[in-house]
Amino acid sequence: MKKLTPKVIKSKNEARAWSVWVINYFTACGFMELLPWVGSGYDMERFGILAVPTPRHADVFIIAGYVTRKAAKRIKMIYDQMASPKYVLALGSCPMTGGMYWDSYATIKRVDEIIPVDLWIEGCPPKPENIGHGIVMAANAIKGGLEGH
Amino acid sequence: MMISDIESDLKSKFPDSLLNVVSEDRRISLLVKKEELHQILSQLKDIGFNHFSDVTAVDYIADKEFELIYHLWSHREKIRAIVKVRIPREAPTVKSVFDLWTGAQIHEREDHELFGINFEGNPNLSPLFLEDWEEIPPFRKDFDTRKYVKEKYYSGEEGYPVAKG
Amino acid sequence: MDIEEKEIAFLTVPFGPQHPASGHFHALMKVDGETVLELEPHPGYLHRGFEKLMEYRIHPQNCVLADRLDILDPFPCELGYVNAVEKIAGLEVPKRGRYIRIIMTELGRILSHITWIGVLSMVLGFDSANKIAWGDREKIIRLNEMATGGRIYPCYLCVGGARRDISQEFVDETSKALDYLEGQLSFYDYFVFKNETFVMRMEKVGRMTAEEAIDLGATGPNLRACGVDYDVRKDEPYEVYPEVEFNVITREEGDAYARSLCRRGEIAESISIVRQLLNNLPDGAFRIELSPVWAAPEGECYFCLEAARGEKCFHMVSDGSPFPYRVKVRPPSLSHSLVQFPYLVKGNTIADVPAIYWSLDPGPADVDR
Repeated sequence: MKKLTPKVIKSKNEARAWSVWVINYFTACGFMELLPWVGSGYDMERFGILAVPTPRHADVFIIAGYVTRKAAKRIKMIYDQMASPKYVLALGSCPMTGGMYWDSYATIKRVDEIIPVDLWIEGCPPKPENIGHGIVMAANAIKGGLEGH
Repeated sequence: MMISDIESDLKSKFPDSLLNVVSEDRRISLLVKKEELHQILSQLKDIGFNHFSDVTAVDYIADKEFELIYHLWSHREKIRAIVKVRIPREAPTVKSVFDLWTGAQIHEREDHELFGINFEGNPNLSPLFLEDWEEIPPFRKDFDTRKYVKEKYYSGEEGYPVAKG
Repeated sequence: MDIEEKEIAFLTVPFGPQHPASGHFHALMKVDGETVLELEPHPGYLHRGFEKLMEYRIHPQNCVLADRLDILDPFPCELGYVNAVEKIAGLEVPKRGRYIRIIMTELGRILSHITWIGVLSMVLGFDSANKIAWGDREKIIRLNEMATGGRIYPCYLCVGGARRDISQEFVDETSKALDYLEGQLSFYDYFVFKNETFVMRMEKVGRMTAEEAIDLGATGPNLRACGVDYDVRKDEPYEVYPEVEFNVITREEGDAYARSLCRRGEIAESISIVRQLLNNLPDGAFRIELSPVWAAPEGECYFCLEAARGEKCFHMVSDGSPFPYRVKVRPPSLSHSLVQFPYLVKGNTIADVPAIYWSLDPGPADVDR
């Protein structure tokens, strides 16, 4: 019988990469492609990712979709409440350049204006495989020592 | 009750206010004068139009008027009633129908915020969607949203917009 | 002994924009211990000003934009827009195009209701049902992708018909998916709808009488659960609904459990409608070819349809140019989350608030547009 060797976590970066906790914030229309990740379609829990209700417990803030001026203040508040080291992922083309609602008087065009962003994932909305690629890239970067803020 | 009964009932009660009546298969459309609007809507509710669908506003800037359109539906007779009224653009004020249908309050609040129309008697006309909005009501035709956005968020030049930040 | 009179202040608890049990919706609750005295809703975190944006775009661009009006149920939004334009212009869409439109719309209704089962289970703390329901969504999303190319925002309908035809492979896959979903429906009956805890949490909670519901402006399953049978598909039929047979599900109690059973019944009816349409699918053209800058003549139209959440109406004014002069969308959820929700929550405990909120099935993006 093959001897099973336990996986040993060698560094705190590796520990962080395998237990990324995401804040549970249903932002906007880009969020619809995160539902298969939460559910059993693509299941993010097997990667160690959980959706937590409070910002105090969260490591990663996913901004999925457009941000209105009214929501921008609250996003800054939530970002400030998260404990360091923290990372920010921006999903979709709306946080990047304004996207489909570029001429809307109520949305802000670059989420960079309010909080610093570590990873941008493009799409409208990005397919779940795209999001998975982005999440794995972020986890590998955290394992490699990406400094959070 | 047939649509012709509704038409004759309204024509007998409000002979001066009905400017135009159009009857179709299951719909009746009225263009009325502003003065007796509340009484006409009250009469329609008494006849049986108990479901208040919506109140819309259209900005006819060339005529210097707003057109308010009330959509009602009767569950018993399965007939739709559409009541249109024109109000001046400089002083847009009508009486609220909150006392007839409770569900009308939220639609009037939305029209107040986005067009600037004043509904007298509505208990709550505070802003619904926008916070700290200092420009003119955004759905009016003289508010150019592309010009506003280009100056505020983009570099302001013509051509491909590049976001600030 | 003298007892001093002190002023009692009630605690204000935010049911905040960042909350696992609300969408992106904010409500301030005034509570006395565990009982909610008053609730003040504050929408607007998802407002984009759709109706203004549509005035700057031509009709094909607006069909793409209209998808995002209600992100959980995009097909009725597209259907409403194109039908309003076609009624102004007096266009007659070919029969196959009409059938394809309603097949996709009814599949979208099933998708919306299954998503609703998942969300309701999540906020009640019933994680297993949530994960299973959101896994079942994938079947219909894959069908969407096969027919239209887009998983969630299909951008499929256009003025004059549908953009692409459906293939025989799509028809076969849809039949298989409907068989699977019918089996899952009996599973949900046993696992969710007859579950003791679910019934205890939803029965007799958030009760409305028929008069109250009509006065507050309720439509859709919320109204049908109070005994009023108002379904736009039967009362003001549009597209191919006169040619299919289906029942309108009503119940008498008017509480949260009755609303849930209405939606569960509608899933079964939608499955039957799609089966009837697939069996009688006619051949022929599926769209009228129009140029992208085609302009509707001057006119006005008010078109009502039955979305998954209730009565959705499009009021369109056209001035003869390729751009619409005014588009107004009457969202069904405006009344659900801003009028019925504060009314029903009074006097209930805090634990009942998410159960009442999601039993009304609001869509936060639908409210704000």
